[in-house]
Amino acid sequence: MPEKSVREMSELERKHYSLAARVFHAAALHSVILGLLCFAIGFGMYLNAVAQDSMKDAWEKARGSVEAMEAACDPAEYARRVMEIYRTRDPAETAGDAYYAAFDEVSADPEYQRMAEALRGCRTEDMSDFFFAVTDKEGGRVIFVADTDPRPGHSYPVGRQVKVPGIVQRIFLRHTEGDDFPRIYYFLPSRGVVCVSGAYVREGDPAAGFVFVMTRATDLMGGVRRFTLQYVVAILIAVVVMGYILTRHMKKTLVAPINEISDAAAAYTRDKRAGIRETEHFTGLRIRTGDEVENLSLIMADMERDLYGYEENLTKITAEKERIGTELALANRIQENMLPNIYPAFPGRDEFDIYASMDPAKAVGGDFYDFFLVDDDHLCMVMADVSGKGVPAALFMMASKIILANNAMTGKSPAQILTDTNAAVCSNNRADMFVTVWLGILEISTGVLTAANAGHEYPVLKKPGGAFELVRDRHGFVLGGMDGMKYKEYELTLEPGAKLFLYTDGVPEATDGEGNMFGTDRMLEALNEDPGASPSGILKNVRAAVDGFVKDAEQFDDLTMLCLEYRSKEGEGT
Amino acid sequence: MTISKQKNGNALTMAVAGRLDTITSPELEAALKDEFEGLGTLIFDFSALDYISSAGLRVLLAAQKQMNKQGEMKVTGVSEVIMEIFEVTGFTDILTIE
Repeated sequence: MPEKSVREMSELERKHYSLAARVFHAAALHSVILGLLCFAIGFGMYLNAVAQDSMKDAWEKARGSVEAMEAACDPAEYARRVMEIYRTRDPAETAGDAYYAAFDEVSADPEYQRMAEALRGCRTEDMSDFFFAVTDKEGGRVIFVADTDPRPGHSYPVGRQVKVPGIVQRIFLRHTEGDDFPRIYYFLPSRGVVCVSGAYVREGDPAAGFVFVMTRATDLMGGVRRFTLQYVVAILIAVVVMGYILTRHMKKTLVAPINEISDAAAAYTRDKRAGIRETEHFTGLRIRTGDEVENLSLIMADMERDLYGYEENLTKITAEKERIGTELALANRIQENMLPNIYPAFPGRDEFDIYASMDPAKAVGGDFYDFFLVDDDHLCMVMADVSGKGVPAALFMMASKIILANNAMTGKSPAQILTDTNAAVCSNNRADMFVTVWLGILEISTGVLTAANAGHEYPVLKKPGGAFELVRDRHGFVLGGMDGMKYKEYELTLEPGAKLFLYTDGVPEATDGEGNMFGTDRMLEALNEDPGASPSGILKNVRAAVDGFVKDAEQFDDLTMLCLEYRSKEGEGT
Repeated sequence: MTISKQKNGNALTMAVAGRLDTITSPELEAALKDEFEGLGTLIFDFSALDYISSAGLRVLLAAQKQMNKQGEMKVTGVSEVIMEIFEVTGFTDILTIE
């Protein structure tokens, strides 16, 4: 695979990966290999045919020479006489004048000479060896009766014996009855095709000799060379023509359609980059090759349509997400505005000061606080924490807040408010959500605080001149958890200068990067850092202490706090 | 948080270790969901529980409500820290803590 993208390639590099060029190379290589194979087979068959003809010719000539000799005399007779003389000689003495002199009686015979003449008369130009001989099967030798080599000194005399190799013995010297003389040919690059054959002088008689013929088809090779040259030229032409035809065909049926598709793909990505959503690059293709390429173009067209669909869908989803985000932000603002957050909260009421804050961990949280005057002399304060986070918690919080406030405004006691609110929340609570609530009503004129706790954190109280301390108050079960729960209330009397601090578990359970919790001890420490500070100052101190403790760790829980400072009983002034 | 279940007849013991908070509570809720059928006794072993948040309490409450209908539920091995949370939230009133 190329490491560069196609877009980055030069024209030359692209050509390197051209399908048409590959097809041409493959077609050419294929043609050359096929051509060479055909040549080898054809050449072999040609040689064989020529050699078969040549061998038949040699065999017929051998046959003819035997007949010519028989017309002159009885060649078998001479074969027998040579063999007899050969047998009488000492096996050690196989050459030399004395040995050859023993055969003089044969060579001097006029009838033998006529026979030898007849044999010589049968010799033709193409023969390299042509002689009449007998065999000594046991000794593996051939004994010449008459030779025909016309070159001076090359002709073997009568009685000349030649040892022949085992393989030649097996092929030529079998002399078994009825066997026709074998024919063989072989190919030598230096000599061309050489054919060997012959004829038995008296068929079926092992004692009789044979005529041996070896021909050399010299002009055969000239024909082969011409043939080869013509063949190679023909193959080259075929390669070029076939390559051209194949390449053209492939270009038309494969390369052109693929290029069309890749052009469409390039146009498609260009349009997508330009931000054009609806395109018809692939759907507009008209490739009708009826094969995988057409299939590919159809798939690409499908893909184009599908992608358009997905994009539309994605755009819708993104828009939907944005809408939800906007709505969450709105919900967050509504939630914030549900909680009293304008300070001073009660301008003109100098008997007390109150301040509260909420920092949700997610956009919308489950914590809430509330404070409102039930009547001129009664201030109701609520600190609550809904189990869970996010939108469900926020919805549950809204409902709880409204039900609590409605109950409180009817002038019920804190315990009754919680009991009634629990009943109302439980009646429609299928999500097993619950809310912890601390609710107190301060009688401003007397400083008497009546409170009830539904599973909420302990409130913190600072008596005038003292330090902030936890009030281990009576706890009821969380609101909304179980139907029919009853709540109990208790009373505290606030002296002028007393401060009440309410919070949700987000404060003591604020966690640092190592999993340590802030805890109520650290919270009390922070409160007592400057116990004389105003309610907003107290909240700032606690917030600063929490931030200093958790450092960069993610805020996990809502952080909600409320502080009330009771300044004076009615009419006493500050 | 790690949860290990041990079933003994129609009693199931769920040992919960670590922190049971907003992030991990859904895991416990999912682990419990398919166990209620035919369950007679559900025991929570909190010996190795470090912390439980309101989200964890919600899972306990839901389990308690379910078991009220079909059997009993017990909470065992409650540490001081966890006990305080149970007390503050009033869960001591509705849970059987051993």
